[in-house]
Amino acid sequence: MMLAMIKRNLLLYFRDHSGVFFSLLGALISFVLYLVFLKKNMLTSWHQMPDAKPLLDTWLIGGTLAITSITTTLSSLALMVTDKEKHIVADLELTDAGPMRLFTSYLLSAAVIGALTQLAMFVIMWGGFYLTDGLTLSTTAVLNTLGLMVTSSLLAVVVNAAIVQGIHTVDSLGKLGTIVGTAAGFLVGTYIPIGTLPSFAQGMVKFIPGSYVAALYRQFLMDDKLKTAFSGNLAARNTFDRLMGVRLNWSTLLTQQETYLIMGLIFSGAVILVFGVEWLRLQRRRRVVREQ
Amino acid sequence: MLLEAQHLTKTFGDHVAVNAVDLQIEKGSFTALLGPNGAGKSTTMNMLIGLLQPTAGQVTYDHDPKLGVVFQGSVLDDILTVRENLQIRAGQYRHVPTDRVAVLSQQLGLTTFMSQRYGTLSGGQRRRVDIARALINEPDILFLDEPTTGLDIQTRLAIWTLIQRLQRDHQLTVILTTHYLDEADAADNVIIIDHGRVLARGTATEIKKRYAADQLTLISPDVAQLAAQVTQKPLRRTTDQLVFSLPTMQAALDILTANRSLISNFEFRPGTMDDAFLALTGKEMR
Repeated sequence: MMLAMIKRNLLLYFRDHSGVFFSLLGALISFVLYLVFLKKNMLTSWHQMPDAKPLLDTWLIGGTLAITSITTTLSSLALMVTDKEKHIVADLELTDAGPMRLFTSYLLSAAVIGALTQLAMFVIMWGGFYLTDGLTLSTTAVLNTLGLMVTSSLLAVVVNAAIVQGIHTVDSLGKLGTIVGTAAGFLVGTYIPIGTLPSFAQGMVKFIPGSYVAALYRQFLMDDKLKTAFSGNLAARNTFDRLMGVRLNWSTLLTQQETYLIMGLIFSGAVILVFGVEWLRLQRRRRVVREQ
Repeated sequence: MLLEAQHLTKTFGDHVAVNAVDLQIEKGSFTALLGPNGAGKSTTMNMLIGLLQPTAGQVTYDHDPKLGVVFQGSVLDDILTVRENLQIRAGQYRHVPTDRVAVLSQQLGLTTFMSQRYGTLSGGQRRRVDIARALINEPDILFLDEPTTGLDIQTRLAIWTLIQRLQRDHQLTVILTTHYLDEADAADNVIIIDHGRVLARGTATEIKKRYAADQLTLISPDVAQLAAQVTQKPLRRTTDQLVFSLPTMQAALDILTANRSLISNFEFRPGTMDDAFLALTGKEMR
């Protein structure tokens, strides 16, 4: 039953070709603007570094994928709001699928869309850098990246769902999308390295789940190149990791396991919140029925 | 009784949308909820379906029935084809036979546009698809919220015939709202609602008999003399016409025979649903 729902959601998303195109372009535009305006600047400040170009390229890919996971899942959750606004939900809830399955199907299809868009972005960006800078990636890096696309989508979906639950018109969701789209690049430290931000901004970055996703992407994509670049110079490597947001700094720099753990906690918290709110809403409806 | 509503009431803030409505729906019956815009028809229906919780009163079904609903607005997806729309909905139910969509498309005459996108269909075609969607789970009760609003007369007739056929052939219980009075003529059970209250109920014939008087129009070369001859006060008077509202056809015959020399022509018209409706709900627009 849920499969039918997911199929509907995906069909609605992918059949709207211009919608898909603009969603991809939305994710790409910041990347392109970055290349045009900021890349040169950053390269100059990295000039003493060996392999500066591929390092910067992979750093940018990681950050952009993290942004993509946030913005595309948010815009695909719009269907949930549209259905509510157009009273389609009333019809969907009449079926045997029931409101909980319906709700879950929105989340799962948004996660699928998020992962696929990230995949498309990854191919485009890597392809671009391969042609311009001859960027290569190891198989492990690619496999880890692919896995993280799924994880990051699921995480972004539940976090976004918590916000979208409180929104009842497509119009306000669109406005929220603009805000998130604009802010995301800064909040996950894609445009400006987290280490150069004022400490308040650094604190804010650490509150955004996407920052941890970005950090993991960077670890997977940059690791080989960083190992060669810093060959054993641990102190310099740590400084770089902290500056560029390759690893986020709590009291110490987070390990990969710790980062995953934090993401897992955020995910569980958001799942409990999102499904809890939905469950409460249903309970309230049922209680009214019993009282009558 | 398949469905019973007692003192069904819904308020939105200070506004009372539905006010203590009682309803009994028998299995296999055809009920029309008739009322002007904003009368509370849709709100009543939504409470019967369970989409809205009544502020007071209750809705009781005699068992857990399968419901089919044709909503006032479109609830199918414009950019999916008719087949996709129906298949997806079918997939959301348990125990729907795999050929159900094919059977329905035959039954409702959708076969020629099954592969067309729902958004490109004409109003009448869409309505038929909406009805097919409502019938996917072989419902016991079919609710239709203004199924013919905005359709041309031919399409209205076709949709109407279709609904009646479904009721007859499948012993379907049908409950619909409409503001087209002529449509209510075919229902077993007409309920006229206004301002959230039930103003009248019964078969169309009963309601017309009770609330719509017969009208007799007399054309005369000497209206003044004719008016003096008839004891009853005319409803309207023009230079050559007198219009009377009469309880029976017999009364009309009496007037005609007694004054035949003064009458150059006449028209007799039994009360219509329009007359009953206007008598009950008034002429005010809303």
